[in-house]
Formats: sequence, C-alpha cells, structure tokens
Amino acid sequence: MSSSILLTEDRKRSAGGRYGLAVLACGVVVLGLLPFRTHLDLPNTVMFFLLTVVVVALMAGRGPAVLASVLGVALFDFLFVPPRFSFEVSHAPHLLTFAVMLVVSLIVGQLTAGLRAQAREAARRERVARGLYGLARELAGAMVVEQVDESVARFLQDQWQAPCRLLLPAPDEGLRAVGERSGPFLDAGSALLTQARSGLRPLRVPAGGGSGHLHALPLAGATRNRGVLMVVLEEDDDDIGPLLAVLAALVSTAVERLHFVEVAQAAQLEAESARLRSSILSALSHDVRTPLTALYGLADSLVVGPPPLPDEARDIAGAIRDQALRVNGMVGNLLDMARLQSGPVRLRKEWQPVEEVVGASLQLLGRALDGHPLRVLGLATLPLLEFDAVLIERVFCNLLENAAKYSPPGSPIVLSAIAGPSMVELQVASGGDGFPPDKLDKVFGLFERGQPETAVPGMGIGLAICRAIVEAHGGRIRAFNPAEGGGCVAFCLPLGNPPPIESEMLEPETLPVQGEGT
Amino acid sequence: MKDAMILLIEDERQIRRFVRGALEKESLRVSEAETLREGLLEAGRCQPELVILDLGLPDGDGSRFVADFRAWSSAPVLVLSARSTEHDKIGVLDAGADDYLTKPFSIGELLARVRALLRRGRGRPDTEAARVVFGEVEVDFSLHRVQRRGEAVRLTPLEYRLLAVLAANAGKVMTHRQLLQAVWGQATGDNSHYLRIYVGHLRHKLEDDPAQPRHFLTETGVGYRFQL
Repeated sequence: MSSSILLTEDRKRSAGGRYGLAVLACGVVVLGLLPFRTHLDLPNTVMFFLLTVVVVALMAGRGPAVLASVLGVALFDFLFVPPRFSFEVSHAPHLLTFAVMLVVSLIVGQLTAGLRAQAREAARRERVARGLYGLARELAGAMVVEQVDESVARFLQDQWQAPCRLLLPAPDEGLRAVGERSGPFLDAGSALLTQARSGLRPLRVPAGGGSGHLHALPLAGATRNRGVLMVVLEEDDDDIGPLLAVLAALVSTAVERLHFVEVAQAAQLEAESARLRSSILSALSHDVRTPLTALYGLADSLVVGPPPLPDEARDIAGAIRDQALRVNGMVGNLLDMARLQSGPVRLRKEWQPVEEVVGASLQLLGRALDGHPLRVLGLATLPLLEFDAVLIERVFCNLLENAAKYSPPGSPIVLSAIAGPSMVELQVASGGDGFPPDKLDKVFGLFERGQPETAVPGMGIGLAICRAIVEAHGGRIRAFNPAEGGGCVAFCLPLGNPPPIESEMLEPETLPVQGEGT
Repeated sequence: MKDAMILLIEDERQIRRFVRGALEKESLRVSEAETLREGLLEAGRCQPELVILDLGLPDGDGSRFVADFRAWSSAPVLVLSARSTEHDKIGVLDAGADDYLTKPFSIGELLARVRALLRRGRGRPDTEAARVVFGEVEVDFSLHRVQRRGEAVRLTPLEYRLLAVLAANAGKVMTHRQLLQAVWGQATGDNSHYLRIYVGHLRHKLEDDPAQPRHFLTETGVGYRFQL
C-alpha cells in the first residue's frame, strides 16, 4: 500500500469514518471466523484479531487501532472463549491470554500507525519540496513581477489552498499590490505592513475575515527590504515557519533580481541617450564652428595680410572678424545651455585649487577685461575643491565678462573667496549701477537681461549657464548689490573632504650658499 | 624657419585657403590633404617639418593618425579642434600631438604656435638646454640651481622635477597624464590632485602673480603648457 493512497484515503475520511472502519473491520473478522469456530483453536483466532488491528492501524491511524485492539479482545472473549456469550472467565490462564493479546495489539497497532504517520509526513514533505523546486524554477525564469506573483499564488493554492498577495515598494515609498487578486482577509492594516517591512521576522496574526492566520513575510533583499508577501493559512503548525521562510527567500531573490535588471536597463538607456545627445551636440558644434572659423580667419587675413587694404576696407574686415567672434561666442553659449539642459549634467569632477581655474579664465578672457583693474582676494589660502574645471571656468569667464561689460570703464573688478563651514563662497563684484533691485532674483533666468534697454550686447544666457553649472555641483548662486555700490554675483561650492596631501621636505641642495652669507 | 614644409590636413576648403595664405606669407611651403588617408600618404611623400591637423575629419579619429605618424616622424603636430569636449584633445595629445588651437583662431595665434613648434622641431637638442631663463627666473639644471631676481629659490625634489619636465617641453601642451607619468612615474587617477598642487607651488614661488600666471599656463581640462 503506497503512502499516497493512504493520504488520499485519509484526507477523504472524517474521524468518525475512521473509527467506523475499526468497528467494521472487527465485525467482518468476527463474521468471517464464526462459521469456522469449531475448526480453529483459540491461538489462531487471536492471530486474526491481531491482523485486523494491523490493517486498521495502517488504514485509519492510532485511535482506531486502539479501538480495534480493545474491541478485538472483548469480542474474542465474548464470542470465542467459553463460556460463550459472556464476559465471565472460566479458566484462569485465559485472563493472561487476554492481557497479552491486548498489550500486543496495542503495541503492534501503535507501531504500525507510527510507520504510517511517518510515511505520510515524508510524502507531504516531498510534495512541498517538489512544489518549491518547481516554484524556484519558475521564479528564475520570471521576466516581470506579475509572473512572480502568479507563480507564488499558484504554489500556495496547490499546497495549502492559501490565498496570498505580493506587495512591493511603490515609488512613493509605500507599498503597492502586484496583480488584481483581492480578498478581504488580505487587507491588513498599514501598521502591520510597516512593521513587517522594517523587520526581518515574519509576523503572524489572526486573519481578519475568516479562520486561520495571516502571515506577513518580509522580503529581505541584499541591501534593503524588497516588499512583503501576505499569506492566509487556514491551519498551520510549527513546521510551516521554515517553509514560509524558504518561500520568502525565493520570492525576495526573484524580486531583487528583477529590480536590478530594471536598474541596469534604465542605466543603459540613460547612457545611450546621453551618448546620443552628446554626439548630436558635438556634431552641431563642429558644423557651426567650421564656417565661423573660415569667416573669422578669412576676415583676419584681410586685416593683417599684405598687400595693405585701404583704411576703410581694413576697418570693415576687422568688423566682420569681430562679429564672427561674437556669433561664435553666442553659439558656444547656446550649445552649452543645450548641453546643460538636455539631461543630467555629467561632471568630470576632480580635486583642484580654485586659483588655477581663475588664472585659466583670465587667460581665456584675454583683453576682454582691459581697462578694469582686477583684484583677487583670498584664493591662495582656499582648500582644494572638487569640481569640473571646464564648467567652473565657464562660470568665472561669464561672471568676469559680465562684470567688465556692465560697469563703467576704469572701475575695478574684485574677485574674492570666503570659506564657510561647509561651503566656499566666491564673489565677483564690479562697480557701476549694479543690478536693478527688482530683478535680483530673475537675472539667472534663461534669456533674462538685467538691463533690457541697454546697448550692451548679450542674450541673457550667461548667468543661466552659471546657475545650471553651479547647481549641478550642489552649490547656489545669487546676485546682490553691496552697500558700497556696484553689483555682485556670489556662488558657493561645497567643501567636501579633500584627499590627504603628504607634504614634502625642501631639497637642501637647491639652496646654494653663495650670496647669503655676506 | 624659412622654406619649412608644412602639411595641412583639413577638409574645409575656406579654412585651408586662409591658413595656406598666412603660412605662405611667412615663406613656408604648404602641402594640403583633405582626409586622414590622404594626409598619411602626403606626409610620407613631402616629409613635413610640421603637421597642422583638423580634429573633425570625416574619415576617422585624429589620434590614430598621430599614432601612425609618430611611428616614423618626430615632426611636431598642431591640432585644430572645433570640439568643445576636452576628451578628444586629451586623446590626440596623449597620442603624441604637440599643441592644439581651438577654432575659431586668428592668424596671429596660428603663426605664433607654428613658429614656436618649428623652433622646437628644428632645435630639438637645445630644448634640453642646461640653462633656462623666463621672466625674472633663471634655472641652471647643471648646477641644480633656481634663482629669482638673483635670489635662490628653494624647491622640493618633486617641484624641481616638475619644473625640469615642463621646461624640457616648453611651448608644448602636456596632458595631466603625461606629466604624472613623467614626474610621479605613474598616471593613476588618485594622485592627480598632487600635480595641480605642485604646479600651484611653482606658480607661487616663480610667478609674479600666481592667480594670473604668465609661464605656467593652465589648459583647463587638458593639462599644462610651460611658456618661456
């Protein structure tokens, strides 16, 4: 008799049925033996009763086996042992027979029933293990969380007819249910969910709507919680805990894998689109700058080259050259703005002194600052800052160029640095009227100009670029009019933790002694 | 410098026209090519003393050309770059180009770079001169002595080495990578801030105004150029 048959029979039969089976079996044996009563001696009859107990124990379990043992002894005494149809014992050794028979029946019955229970347990475990194996295989192939949810629901349905619901983190930090399945008993309070999510242990509470218990299993990922699996089990025992833990581990692995697949795909998409944007912009930059280069160079060759042109023609050639340079500057600004606005800014951040970038900006500006004496304060003592030198150079160029453009000739420009506790503030101050007081907040907007009626050329794009760059570095930029007059733009950059610098000893030989003593 | 042969590789005809005009007025001979392939063939034929190379050529990557050209010639290469990304410049400089000029450029700038590079190319042994003078500074490498306004300046061993490398490559753009390799012996990323600090030290010790250097120039995002 295979264990699976035992199981199916067992499942179909109620407790009353199983005890009925014991009674029935005893009845059948009695009816079968009575006609042969005269041909069988008593020990043989006992054997048949013992066999009955074994069969009952195999088919119906411990309790019915006990019943069959007791019933067997009673029937044996009543129907087979003289005096018949009475429980009286005429012969003293028969009492011993009854006692031994009862003990043997009970022992055999219990052993047999234990064997049966073990076989049944093994079969149950095998069924669960096979189910888990199948689930693991399905989860490994799942492409979306909905598939995970379906597989888990099917597994729980097959094993325990248990409804479940998979809850995953939502973008708003809450939890969202996967799939459309509903069940009133699965609508647990958010307090329980929060508790389950923050802990590592499964929670078990009485189910709201019906009988059984609600299990909230946290899905622990490698780095953080990946959601909660809710299961309602009608009846559960101590063995179910480890099984549910295995189930939760399988589901969280699957959910985490899908999460990382999603992250990787998003990163790939982002990199792809960034690459595309940057190649479009550099192609555009090349295509626009090539004719500008030709225009600028050809005009310049008229200005510088012999044979000398008449003065007026020379002036015109110079004007064409300067205008080409201006268009180039505008195109550069527009392309920079497009680059900054077309997506997350990719910064090539490195630790470096601010002083160096200021020097490079001044070198780049060349004669644009002519006529404005420049004072640089506090730069040499600044710690290293982490920034993208090319972009911060643009900020300094734009600010210094603006300072020169919007202040009267001869007025000084002051570039100063103030180190705060977590930020370094860099200020570019110039003389003149400063910013219109009602526009201090607006000057950083795109195509916004401080002085719309002025004859100073510009598009109102420089400060917008500065703001985009500074904010990409985690800093802030502001404009104000200092009390002492003029205008000032200040931006700050985070200090961060500069890398350590090992200082080096001075080389003694580089110091010649000559010329020092006397 | 007269009669030097210059190879100009540029696909835009109008740019070739004014560059050629400017160079010929300086009594230089000019040979032209429109693509990298043609450029390599032409370089083999005319044996140029200087190559002017546009970085935006349609048939490929300028750094490949420079690497191929460097295999057999040490003539200086001046790159014309219209790209605003520094990455391309670094690539072509690391491959062996000597200097770059960002478009648009004036004829004055172009001729200044060409003259400097031709001087370097012609007088290669001189560039490793024992004595270098710039501004008010005098460096005597044979005596291991650095003086400013006649007074001794004390340098650390690394500062001295950096100064020596920069001086030996005067007029040429050195990328961060090249300098780290030459001075620190390795071009790993984690000590690149040292380079900037040491250049800063040299500026404070040898420049009149460290915030507006005249000799230790920054090529932002690319490297440094030492100018006599």
